[in-house]
Amino acid sequence: MPNPSEKTKNNDKDTELVRAINNGRQDLFYELVNRYEKSLYNFGLRMCDTPSDAEDMVQDTFLNVFKYLEGFRHETKFRNWLYRVATSACLKKKRRSKYAPDRELSLDEFLPADESAVSADLPRWASQPLDQVLDGELAGVIRQALLNLPEKYRLVVVLRDVEGFTTQETAEILDLTPTNIKVRLHRARLFLRKALKSYYETD
Amino acid sequence: MKQTDPHHPHENCLALFERLSEYIDRELDAPTCKDIETHIQACKPCQVCLKTLKQTVALCKHLERRQVPETFSLKLKSAIFDLVDKKAD
Repeated sequence: MPNPSEKTKNNDKDTELVRAINNGRQDLFYELVNRYEKSLYNFGLRMCDTPSDAEDMVQDTFLNVFKYLEGFRHETKFRNWLYRVATSACLKKKRRSKYAPDRELSLDEFLPADESAVSADLPRWASQPLDQVLDGELAGVIRQALLNLPEKYRLVVVLRDVEGFTTQETAEILDLTPTNIKVRLHRARLFLRKALKSYYETD
Repeated sequence: MKQTDPHHPHENCLALFERLSEYIDRELDAPTCKDIETHIQACKPCQVCLKTLKQTVALCKHLERRQVPETFSLKLKSAIFDLVDKKAD
């Protein structure tokens, strides 16, 4: 049972709105949809294979939130709970991915094979300011690399780096330990970095 | 890094490689950060490793977000309207 200070800690811009909906103002549910449909749709685009699957995931998520909102006790922030519901909808929706079969990533696969493979020069994509390199091409490489990541790593890097959740929040959403989140996040980032390096070295 | 030179502080590179994300996210204690910074200043490959990883994270944080297709947004709100309506009955 959380203590009252825990509940206060979870208060944010959604708290009053959720309370109003639960006190009978169901018409305000549209406001929650307006706040989060774009975030969830983009989360879906990163996690599902097709835009149509992303749409289904968003719809399933909001319908489940509508159904279970009465039981939400503000033991976490609403946004964390929403993404927990969305993650569950993603996993249910997801058929075996054509892009990213499940597999473990090990640190060893990201280490250079030998000293000659270690570059002392910073590549162009990493040496310039973000606004100069984040063109359509580079964004496309990152998007594809995300889709190629095995799902359990992709979920972590999307929640942490794309959606901006903290380690602790991501651990809550995925029901994992913070240590586990850190391990998966590091491997996911190394996977993405390898994809960027390979793309520009073979270009 | 896997180094062949026995004089290179290979273990330091490996230890740093494992903790780079935590370093970028400022999740390490001050003495560990200091050790990492001292090593990085003297190790060019580890500088490259850190900067390329930092840029990878920055790229993820700044990925463009697409607009929700209008047809889908309308369909979603219509499905919710049905639920709100049903609950109000």
